[in-house]
Amino acid sequence: MAIFQKLAKGPMAVHELAGTLPVSRPAVSQHLKVLKDAGLVTDTKDGTRRVYGLNPEGIALLRAHFDRVWEKAMSAFQASAEQQPKTGGKHGTDRRRSRRS
Amino acid sequence: MAQTAGEAVVRKSVRVGVPVDRAFSVFVEQMETWWPAEHHIGAQPFQAIFVEPRAGGRWYERDAQGNECNWGHVLAWGPPHRVTFSWHLGPDWKFNPDLAKASEVEIRFTAEGPSATLVELTHSRLERHGEGYEQLRSMLDGPNAWANTLAAFAKAAGAL
Repeated sequence: MAIFQKLAKGPMAVHELAGTLPVSRPAVSQHLKVLKDAGLVTDTKDGTRRVYGLNPEGIALLRAHFDRVWEKAMSAFQASAEQQPKTGGKHGTDRRRSRRS
Repeated sequence: MAQTAGEAVVRKSVRVGVPVDRAFSVFVEQMETWWPAEHHIGAQPFQAIFVEPRAGGRWYERDAQGNECNWGHVLAWGPPHRVTFSWHLGPDWKFNPDLAKASEVEIRFTAEGPSATLVELTHSRLERHGEGYEQLRSMLDGPNAWANTLAAFAKAAGAL
């Protein structure tokens, strides 16, 4: 999502975002609304314009969730890979058995 | 590359004491032997997880009754060094078929010796799961969220 990448570099107003992207300003506003509703971006008023920036708490929560998922999965993958090859695969045959190294 | 505070990417790497082709094959062909069993998408626990070995292939689980649930798609297939998946599961573990709402998981396998492989995982574009953020927040606020995670960690750590 290009908007997200732009905002990662610093807060911007809608027209600034639209000026750097090949999409219309209403499209930018719509994306921003989705991101804001999701808690991933926040907006602040700066005079007459509204400036959008990333909500560090929202991103951190998403990252923490997937970080935990993969931490557990990769540890288990390591243990499984280092086990002795099992006989019989899920397809009823051990595809690795036919190959000798 | 350094990870900035706002970057919606998770990176993990692990070294395994097996040849690169075995590491790749355990990852994609024997996923049910290591994928955390509680993270199933269907109503019932999975019995097997399948990765169709080609770009555009399906990635799905199957339960004991034969019911299948999609996880995502193979975006790039480069055995035994690289595989990339689309990840359609938000923090709520619900499948969303919309590719524009899917993040990407790339796994690279680098041989460091005859029986040594570096496995590097990059899960990027996490912001595309933004709509699942509310569920995530309520999950984390729930009474069992952290307790379950810590219990699972203690079990895994004790098994090593």
